[in-house]
Amino acid sequence: MREGLFIAFSLFTIAAASGVVLSRNPVYSAFSLILSFFGLSGLYLLWGTTFMAMIQILIYTGAIVVLFVFVVMLLNLQVNKESSPNFLIVGISGAAVWFFSLIILRVLTQAIPNTLPAIPTDQIRTISKLLFTRYLWPFEVLSLFLLVMIIAIFAITRTQEIPHGGEKQ
Amino acid sequence: MDWMDLIVTAVKTIVIYLGMVQVVPIMLIVERRGAALIQDRPGPNRVGPFGLFQPIADVIKMMMKEVAVPKQVNKALYILGPFLVLFPASLVIAALPFGDFFTLFDKNYILQVANIDVGILYILAIGSLGIYGILFGGWASNNKFSLIGAMRSSSQIISYEIPLGLAACSAVLWYGTFSLREMVTGQEGTILSVLPNWGIFYQPLGFLLFFVAAFAETNRLPFDLPESEAELVAGFHTEYGPMDFGTFFMAEYMNMATMSGLMVSIYFGGWHLPWISDATLLQWLGSRNLVALIQVLTAVTKIAFFMLVFVWVRWTIPRFRFDQLMRLAWKNLIPLGLINLVITALVLYFKGAA
Repeated sequence: MREGLFIAFSLFTIAAASGVVLSRNPVYSAFSLILSFFGLSGLYLLWGTTFMAMIQILIYTGAIVVLFVFVVMLLNLQVNKESSPNFLIVGISGAAVWFFSLIILRVLTQAIPNTLPAIPTDQIRTISKLLFTRYLWPFEVLSLFLLVMIIAIFAITRTQEIPHGGEKQ
Repeated sequence: MDWMDLIVTAVKTIVIYLGMVQVVPIMLIVERRGAALIQDRPGPNRVGPFGLFQPIADVIKMMMKEVAVPKQVNKALYILGPFLVLFPASLVIAALPFGDFFTLFDKNYILQVANIDVGILYILAIGSLGIYGILFGGWASNNKFSLIGAMRSSSQIISYEIPLGLAACSAVLWYGTFSLREMVTGQEGTILSVLPNWGIFYQPLGFLLFFVAAFAETNRLPFDLPESEAELVAGFHTEYGPMDFGTFFMAEYMNMATMSGLMVSIYFGGWHLPWISDATLLQWLGSRNLVALIQVLTAVTKIAFFMLVFVWVRWTIPRFRFDQLMRLAWKNLIPLGLINLVITALVLYFKGAA
């Protein structure tokens, strides 16, 4: 039962992820991305990490992909009719490099366990404790990094000065 | 889990789901008659006694109309749109607690479809997916009004999710749990035997933020900019036919019910009667199942009250302008939510230290 569900969710995630790269219409790609995140959160649920599964849907599916879709729709991208062979070669070779480096990493380290680590019974408490003790600095640095990115985007996009008091109505 | 548990779970799922679907026709008549009451006119009163059969007539009308798919639409996403809205709206109901438990053949069953340990996150996460139906439906309609409505809807829902989440965060901090069931259990009793021990007395600002954001999340007036009929014809559902529109409508009412259920569970003591504890109730009635019945009735009454407030506000406050709506979220509600979160954390810290 568990293994069947695992295989079903995995296949679903992979199929949806292929849909993201294979579909010509960017809106369909975004839709496939949503489905693939759903499959991923199903895998998390199967592992028993309900918190991770919910955060996955809340953050990625519920907020980030909405912005993707938003941008795609605003830009009104045209459906790409021609296939570009160069792109395909680059994509396939990139995927191959990634795949083989993962295998090499697996062979070299041997540290990756074959079984998933056990889930602590009080996972939210465990996560928050780790976040506030062991991973406090990485966490803070990351949030600062995101803040800097937001400011940078503002600086790049807002090129022209808006005269004081003359805000566009 | 033996077969008895399975049957009980199945029955619970069906009963609670169908109960929530019944919200739609009830709200249809309540909203129309409520609007009439507020605007001092009779409202629909021809079909059946006091116009009570009006929803049936409405639904039959919608079902009998011809389903026409416009020529210019992106067919797949256009058809998918309404279902993408209805699907999450139906899913979230599973996490709402309606009562403590009932006993059947010496076995206790909780009055909730699924007791999820991260219930509040589940509702916020799945609830936020409804936006895709509006977004894809509006885009697939290939109509500028629909697209503007969909864009408005997505930016509005994303913006108001933040104050909603911040208010929920404060509540989670206060109760120390993500589970809605534990939140409700934590609200039993009284404060100094004067006030009921409800969340609203500990998190008044949080409730206000949640309440305002709930209107924006459900696309209700005064925040129904996505379909503002005075400027956008009908917004994201301009191109939709009778029952597709009806599906959007159903999802809206079910989302309202869920939001009311959340507010009741977090801030208004869920299934608890004010001032009367479950133990006292058990002493009076003598039967577990009678107590469970009273609990369910209490929870449903509270939810119904909030649904009435939704209608009441709709016909009282005019619509916002879009920049006002965004300013309210980003410049007022989010800072207030952050302040509320910090205050809650500080109070808890000093309470723990003392």
